[in-house]
Amino acid sequence: MNNSALTVAESRSGNTCVVALSGRIDSTNANDLITRFNRLISSGEKSILVDLGSVLYLTSAAFRALLVATDQAERNEARFVLCSVAGHVHELFEMGGLLDAFTIHGSREEALTKLG
Amino acid sequence: MPSPQQKSVHLSLRNDVAELTLVTGALNRIGEEIDIPAKALIQLQVALDEVLSNIVKYAWPPTEAHVFQVQISVRAGGMEVVILDDGVPFDPRMQSPPKPVAPDVRPRPGGVGIHMVKQLVDSFEYTRINGRNQVILTKQYSKQQWP
Repeated sequence: MNNSALTVAESRSGNTCVVALSGRIDSTNANDLITRFNRLISSGEKSILVDLGSVLYLTSAAFRALLVATDQAERNEARFVLCSVAGHVHELFEMGGLLDAFTIHGSREEALTKLG
Repeated sequence: MPSPQQKSVHLSLRNDVAELTLVTGALNRIGEEIDIPAKALIQLQVALDEVLSNIVKYAWPPTEAHVFQVQISVRAGGMEVVILDDGVPFDPRMQSPPKPVAPDVRPRPGGVGIHMVKQLVDSFEYTRINGRNQVILTKQYSKQQWP
């Protein structure tokens, strides 16, 4: 079964770089994600939206990747926000006590409106 | 003949984080065969990722190649995973919980994982036996559970 793989799709909407993640984010691929976010922020992206709507689950390694990127974005005066945190994924954020650790919008549309 | 509701899989894994995909794959297959509710399966997989990645990272010096054992058993509405490694003695339950943080301070990732494992599974046991660490995780499920 190959639905374990994490898929990352980057697109652009106005000034925002949208990173849509799907599949499972765990310790086998979280470092790839850290590298990816690091590259985006280092390259000067000032507005990054991570869409978690198609993520099946994420583990603490994934939360670490998101926290590391949030910190790096802050240091670079970039906005790093999440959207579409629902179902199992929302429960995992809740369990980790991490719902307040990020800026989270309900949907991609809502996030893009807020990011302007 | 084992009934279709019973299943047991044994995996020998190298201390390389990439090997954890074998556990994910095995659980996915078992989950499909036995029709385990997605929520229970996901919760066990998230818990296992934390426990197994800690073994890979900390049980042995990173330059040494080692193998550890994972036994997954499913029967009568419950999953049990037994993990055996011959690394340094380490009780994964003893990791300190995440420190409470002020509302304007972002939590640090450290400790979040084990805190989550305790909520995700029904039991989380550790024993040091015959020079090996043994961790047993169990997760119950019922067919009536939200899918």
